[in-house]
Amino acid sequence: MAKRIGIFVCECGTNIAEKVDIDQVIAAVSPLKDAEVVERHKLLCSEAGKDFLKQSIEEHGLTHVVVAACSPKQHEVTFMNACEQAGLNPQLFQLANIREQCAWVTPNGEEATDKAIRQIRAAISRVRYHNPIEKKEVECSPDVLVIGGGIAGIKASQLLAAPNRKVYLVEKTSSLGGKTKSFSKLFTGMDSGLSLMEQELESLKANENVEVLTESEVEQVLGFLGNFEVKVRTKAEDEELSFNVGAVILATGFELFDPKELPQYGYGKSDDVYTSLEFEEMNLPGGPTGGKILLKSGKPPQSVAIIHCVGREEKDYCSKVCCLYSLKFDRMLKSQLPQAKVSHFYSDLCLPGKSYQRFYEQTLELGIEFIRSAKTEVTPNGKGTTIKYETETGSKGESVADMVILIPAMESSRDAQKLAEMLKLPQDGKGFFVEEHQLLSPVASAVEGVFVVGCARGPQSISESIVQAEAATGKILSALVPGRKLEVEVRTSEISESFCTGCQTCILVCPYGAITFDEAKRVSVVNEVLCHGCGNCVAACPSGAASLKHFTFRQIYQELKEVLQ
Amino acid sequence: MSGENEMNDKEQGNPVLVIGAGVAGIEASLLLANSGRKVYLVEKTSYTGGNVIKFEEVYPNMDCATCMISPKQQELLANENIELLTLSQIAAVSGSSGNFSVGIKKKARYVDLENCIGCGACYDPCPVEVDNEFEEGLSKRKAIYIPCAGALPNVPVIDTENCLRFKEQDCQACQETCVFEAIDFTQQDEELQLKVGAIVVATGFKSFDLRQTTQYGYGKLSDVYSAMEVERLLASNGPTQGQITLRNGEPPASVAIIHCVGREEKGYCSSVCCMASLKLSHFLKKKLPEVKITQFYSDLCIPGKAYQEFYEEVKESGVDFIRATVSEVSQAGKELALKYATEDGQEKTLTADMVILNPAVEPGVNSTKLAGMLNIPQSEDGFFSEKEPDLTSIATAQDGIFIAGCAQGPKDIAETVAEAEATAGRILSLSR
Amino acid sequence: MEEEFTPRIVGFLCNWCSYAGADLAGATKLDIPSSLSVIRVMCSGRVDPVLVATALLHGADGVLVAGCHPGDCHYREGNYYARRRFALLKKTFETLGLDSERLMLAWVSASEGQRFKEVTNEFAKQIKQMGPNPMRKKISL
Repeated sequence: MAKRIGIFVCECGTNIAEKVDIDQVIAAVSPLKDAEVVERHKLLCSEAGKDFLKQSIEEHGLTHVVVAACSPKQHEVTFMNACEQAGLNPQLFQLANIREQCAWVTPNGEEATDKAIRQIRAAISRVRYHNPIEKKEVECSPDVLVIGGGIAGIKASQLLAAPNRKVYLVEKTSSLGGKTKSFSKLFTGMDSGLSLMEQELESLKANENVEVLTESEVEQVLGFLGNFEVKVRTKAEDEELSFNVGAVILATGFELFDPKELPQYGYGKSDDVYTSLEFEEMNLPGGPTGGKILLKSGKPPQSVAIIHCVGREEKDYCSKVCCLYSLKFDRMLKSQLPQAKVSHFYSDLCLPGKSYQRFYEQTLELGIEFIRSAKTEVTPNGKGTTIKYETETGSKGESVADMVILIPAMESSRDAQKLAEMLKLPQDGKGFFVEEHQLLSPVASAVEGVFVVGCARGPQSISESIVQAEAATGKILSALVPGRKLEVEVRTSEISESFCTGCQTCILVCPYGAITFDEAKRVSVVNEVLCHGCGNCVAACPSGAASLKHFTFRQIYQELKEVLQ
Repeated sequence: MSGENEMNDKEQGNPVLVIGAGVAGIEASLLLANSGRKVYLVEKTSYTGGNVIKFEEVYPNMDCATCMISPKQQELLANENIELLTLSQIAAVSGSSGNFSVGIKKKARYVDLENCIGCGACYDPCPVEVDNEFEEGLSKRKAIYIPCAGALPNVPVIDTENCLRFKEQDCQACQETCVFEAIDFTQQDEELQLKVGAIVVATGFKSFDLRQTTQYGYGKLSDVYSAMEVERLLASNGPTQGQITLRNGEPPASVAIIHCVGREEKGYCSSVCCMASLKLSHFLKKKLPEVKITQFYSDLCIPGKAYQEFYEEVKESGVDFIRATVSEVSQAGKELALKYATEDGQEKTLTADMVILNPAVEPGVNSTKLAGMLNIPQSEDGFFSEKEPDLTSIATAQDGIFIAGCAQGPKDIAETVAEAEATAGRILSLSR
Repeated sequence: MEEEFTPRIVGFLCNWCSYAGADLAGATKLDIPSSLSVIRVMCSGRVDPVLVATALLHGADGVLVAGCHPGDCHYREGNYYARRRFALLKKTFETLGLDSERLMLAWVSASEGQRFKEVTNEFAKQIKQMGPNPMRKKISL
């Protein structure tokens, strides 16, 4: 079909016109054999300008459009929309930047005009080889899989569930509630975590749109945003359930660093050295001591030492919430045992935010001792333990305590590893999942459609875990609307079956895991839903099988050829 | 709509008001708009991006802040579901969840958003020059201006406090230069009435006013800076295009960074300053490899999986960390002398060419007025209060009104974005 | 008789950072050499050595590839691959006895209009000094 290219040069008021000799530009471009119209306009991005464009397209039956104006980052979309409104496929358009990168940066008018002509000729040569790529939409499931039945998983499930959106909540153990149900008190309000969890579980039970699968494990998650194929094995019935979801939320929580790895803290050597979780369980009304703080001997402790940062150096991060929950422990201790001596051995007090410092100051009033110690050692001494400490300046000291509570680092749950492999989720060197973007997309993972919330992401408080569950909900509800198809990027990569040699280099370099290998055909295949159109695979492909739509070699070569005339 | 929960029928599809077009407001708006909701994004200033666009790099990965934010800003400006109302403030709020009536006062920009193409020709002819607040007063701007190169929307505003026309003088300099007839002196302030179903408060933060302190010499000693001023000095689109110099034009050979300025007065830890100080150290060392940096702090606040490594890296690069309280900064010849006391009571002095103060983070201006209009409680320090602090930080006592980012309390960008996304999650969810 | 040498430099700029930086140089009216012609790509990772070699074989006196600073790539890792490919290309050029100085890789962020000006002017000056590209041949690839 014969090409009828429309070329429109924008004056941009005086911004382009005062530097670039537009008459000369028009004269240079008009002789081209397929230049159907060559026009100038005062301001193409204005309503009048856009109307002018649309009219010209319709009047002259233009097959391609080139606009020479400002940066594509300003108005590529504007002009593409105009083309679409005039019935022309918007991909058959090219914008030549003769303002930001020509008129505005070239003081000499002659040079600016020459440069403009070069850029416009390049745009014209290129646009001849544009393809009318159509918009692409994909069906998607609005349902969600939530892995992990702790506070974050439960909150996310409740927020997401709706008559037109089912949530599958999979929990490995026999009961929901995670760690929160083991906390008799929560900082800073000192309300009961156990009661909170009981309330949450009641409302969850009443929610008919959440299918709770306890004693179950996820065996397979295959697919991509909008279309994940999931297999879950329930231990109870030894059944395998298969279903489709549009998104996955990982809320597998945390475990504590094992203080046995650090013998200097005396864990396992002395009877009354406890981890914080053990101390929490002791305080539960249904716990081993009926909620009473007691030594193994059955007597209440008279002196308690709380040792911070156990394992911090080894893990190389600060677990964020420990200073705070240790203050909570102070209150719990003083409430039951007002006469007990309570001492903290810590390095830095981490109290970020508007309320935590006040919580600390108020707790201090209960008569708590804080000793800044760079090195702490706990040794059994027959009656209890001796705490040896050393300050930053080198002075040493000693103290005794009947009971020692160790504050170990928070680690990602060990199941996370297995799920990471299953979902192809990258983990950082510390065992936590890597975010899509640490700052701008904190609850999304590197795999589109998979979200990570709560302590699976990194140590944090209950409040932050809930916020993240709500955030993942926001991302999912925004992207996957029931009844609405997913619109995907059109300028994606494609791999020619005939040229592909099956070397899989493209698969290695794709940042989004958007390319898979077809074992039967022994070729690589691009998933257009996941492809972001960066073109890395194209540059990596040794056989030229991969090409990026709208940025093909041929299209770029045409530009290259013209600018080098 | 089929299958929707009847209880929330009237709320379904209702527009949402987002107050503040910083990083939190932008994120919440985009999520809501992409789900199909109409969003009114009300912003007090003439530009979007809030405080984050003032930073050249952000911790812990030293991402380029503008590179990070500008795709979001552009998405915002292009999104048809989002109506951005700059130079606007909330005047009154009534009603309840699902049915709020909001009065907006929109100041005139005097420049037409459609016709202006952002060429900047109007700045030169303007005869009025004043301190540029965006640049922390380190450079000047005209009465018709954009706060910095690259600001979005790229359309100037006329500052009615300083423009001669508002002082009874008939100056037409800018209008005469504009070939697009984009400058319109006839524009009027407007009052708008919006009906929305939910409100997100994302009004951000400002820095503790260092002039309230006397011991550090801020405002008197020429080379005592606030951290925000240094951020602008480090910015490649800032007043010195990224050059770090003292007032005399020479680069500093030694820098002292003081943490927690205003912490005692405010009574809380501002969360972000330890990390921001590390970032400044890292950046300063990159620009001036020989510079000697000393940090004065009380407790190192570097929570979470990502920050400790950064601290260790900075420490290894030769930055000194002294746990001490600085009692006084005074002029000692060409240098500044810092008198400080360590925890074990020793008193010492350190000299440095430049002193950088880290001010506490406070809620953005007018927060008390806004709290009153929205009828949501504030804490003593002015931050908006959440209903159940131990559960989620974003829900207020008013059903349908949510808070996100530093409006709720000092926090970093990741936490801010998570909260913004969480407000969208609550609003879009049927069960609230 | 010596003709005035007007260099032809091709710049492959990534859409998100360097192209935006170049636009900013424009918005702030800085001087950019007119010898530079910019070709926009989505990511510096798209720029494969064949493109660069083609440019030079078609008479480009210099080729500039610009992308986001390492760590800032809009597509996460594209610029890391660009860096590797470029290093390999440069080495190949050196091995073949070709002017590897005619190739330049630069990181320019969206807010670095000034830096874009410095990089391009420096490069143009360098190319001018080196003289015209002796590889001007018509080869089809």
